[in-house]
Amino acid sequence: MGLRYRPGVLSLAHATNGRLQAVTGFARVTACALWGLETELVSVEVDVASGLPGFDIVGLPDTAVREARERVRAAVRNSGFEFPLRRITVNLAPAERRKEGTGFDLAIALGILRASGQLATDIAELCVGELALDGSVRGVRGVLPRARRALCAGIRSALVAAENATEAAAAGGDVISVATLRVAMAHLDGSARIAPAGPPPPAAEPSWEVDLAHVVGQATPKRALEVAAAGGHNLLMVGPPGTGKTLLAHALPSILPPPDPEEAIIASAVHSVAGLVDPARPLLGARPFRAPHHTASRLSLVGGGTPPRPGEVSLAHTGALFLDELTQFSPLVLDTLREPMQDGRVTISRAGASATYPARFTLVAAMNPCPCGRRGDPAAACACLPDEVDRYNARLSGPFLDRIDLRVHVPRIPYEELRDASPRERSADVRARVVAARQRMAARGRRANAELTIAEIRRHCSLDASAERLVAAAVTDSRLSARGYHRLLRVARTVADLDGSDRVGRDHLASALLLRA
Amino acid sequence: MTFLARSDPRYPGRALDLPRPPDPLWFEGDAALLSRDCVAIVGTRRMTPYGERVARELAIACAEAGIVVVSGLAQGIDSAAHAGALDARGETVAVLGEGLAAFDPHGRRRRLAARIRERGCLVSEFPPLMPAQGWMFAQRDATIAALARCVVVVEAPHGSGALITARHAVALGRALYAVPGPLGSPQSAGTNALIASGRARAVTGPESLGLVAVAAETSPLLDRLAAGPLSPDALRADPADVAELLLAGRIVALPDGRLTRT
Repeated sequence: MGLRYRPGVLSLAHATNGRLQAVTGFARVTACALWGLETELVSVEVDVASGLPGFDIVGLPDTAVREARERVRAAVRNSGFEFPLRRITVNLAPAERRKEGTGFDLAIALGILRASGQLATDIAELCVGELALDGSVRGVRGVLPRARRALCAGIRSALVAAENATEAAAAGGDVISVATLRVAMAHLDGSARIAPAGPPPPAAEPSWEVDLAHVVGQATPKRALEVAAAGGHNLLMVGPPGTGKTLLAHALPSILPPPDPEEAIIASAVHSVAGLVDPARPLLGARPFRAPHHTASRLSLVGGGTPPRPGEVSLAHTGALFLDELTQFSPLVLDTLREPMQDGRVTISRAGASATYPARFTLVAAMNPCPCGRRGDPAAACACLPDEVDRYNARLSGPFLDRIDLRVHVPRIPYEELRDASPRERSADVRARVVAARQRMAARGRRANAELTIAEIRRHCSLDASAERLVAAAVTDSRLSARGYHRLLRVARTVADLDGSDRVGRDHLASALLLRA
Repeated sequence: MTFLARSDPRYPGRALDLPRPPDPLWFEGDAALLSRDCVAIVGTRRMTPYGERVARELAIACAEAGIVVVSGLAQGIDSAAHAGALDARGETVAVLGEGLAAFDPHGRRRRLAARIRERGCLVSEFPPLMPAQGWMFAQRDATIAALARCVVVVEAPHGSGALITARHAVALGRALYAVPGPLGSPQSAGTNALIASGRARAVTGPESLGLVAVAAETSPLLDRLAAGPLSPDALRADPADVAELLLAGRIVALPDGRLTRT
């Protein structure tokens, strides 16, 4: 047991007792740095040397890390330990990358206590947590990916704040939940061992607010939704206001296939970095469905800030991103979506550091057909001039629309149809088809058909003779561009997968074409 | 850009029917078209899909018959008529309500104007740099009526500028035709009134203008699209049949996903 600070004795100890002056030493504690979802173990090296009292942190700390000095000093003192009046140097190795955030506080404090001899045992655990001035340990963002990284490096045990415990446990290792610095010290020196937290609670059983059975009519839009869910194709729904575009979009989560464990971990890790994890349910049980408002900024959509936080596109990773009133989004904002839609990830670069987040999502968008919204609505006359409609449609850039495989019209449903009470297909049935189709896709080595490359299209989307005849003329007459042709085949492949067919037939191709592929 | 003075032999004789013939007549393109057999196709800017289709079909029939389509290059019916004529490899004349150099449209009409300069003629009775003012369009409407052998109003609500052209057509002794529309459709209120009052003859097809209808192959599916675009669900057809027509270019999908005849 090291030296314990007793109130009122410190000055005496310094003045009369030579023991403290002899306390110098070195300690090493493992922490973990986070850049986006990229993690790297950081060795927190603490040197307590004789000399003028001072406290320096080197190894490219950012402001938040540098401020750890004040938090650590107060936390150590207020936990009843001695903050050594020595020359303290903390190095965060590897020293050449900038470290961000407050997660190093716990490791620095424990390192100082170990180096100054107040803790007699070495610290093998990963230590992640922010310190309050009173010595309590606060949770930080991104504990899940950090704990995963430590586990990969063979560090099985982690000390984290109580509120991060379930999240860290989701990574799989032993998690010691420490409420205060004192508790952490007691655990480490063996005076009061804490049992590792149990396995994380299972992901919540998903429940859906909207079922496809709630939507009356709209056979083609429903079909498009099913194809989008199965093949990961981006979908644009166009129709007058009040025809059910938003309702349809909100039914999408109910037909998305469940995430596989790896996808669930990654999606949860993104939420962890964003600070959006529910401590009671750290793992996502369903694919995320994000619906940012059309006033969203570029930063909130694709991520950014200091340190760079994931945006909506990354929070929607493995799931769906719903943009309602698509034309109300700023064109600049929509253009920033092109990179993630193309590459499935976002790289946020800033001076000195860049963060990469995954962003593979299915885009579902809804918009009115014209500024007044009544174009094509039999119940109301559209008051828009042709030029106004052209300008309205021109708000969506060609390159952006090129990345949208499906585009369907959502018409107004006649009253007789609305009253129709005959049973409609439930989401669960559609979902079963989607899951089966995904399995066929997985057998070909792709998660979803929307990701098929041109070489893979050639290999997997072989048309039967009648289907071949259907498109051949259109391609030769260049009514169908090469890009349109490949898009059509991708969607037709998904339609065939939903049908359980290995070959892409004429009917599959025809349905794909009606989904405006 | 150049101009035709009244004394110029190429000056269109029909323009002399006007009380005050434009002098000079500025133009870009082929001025010889002005003296050819011309049919004016005019209508409202706020057209319906029905009006767009009829204007286009009439323009195509004119083009096939070698008749020059005259209109005002406004949005809506005018643009549909010009585009129809050009798409059928015919010639078309656009009479502008502003100076030729002041005319600077955007988007679709800019491309249309460029095509007309290539294959037709842009005409204005106003000095090149004169910007548009309300009265100029009314005067231009008279010129359209004068340049044409007959005037067809496709769709015009009450108070539409196309009805000014119709009035001038009657005053100048040009044959006046109007396309009947659905009762209750505001866009057809003016044209239906022209027919009801006996001032205009009803157009029941290109035959009404003494033209041959372009033999369009029909099918029950295409007939269902005659009244305007429909969503695939409303079409209630076998996807394979629809796909065939789509790939053959007989129908196309609009930006909002509805299907329409070409």
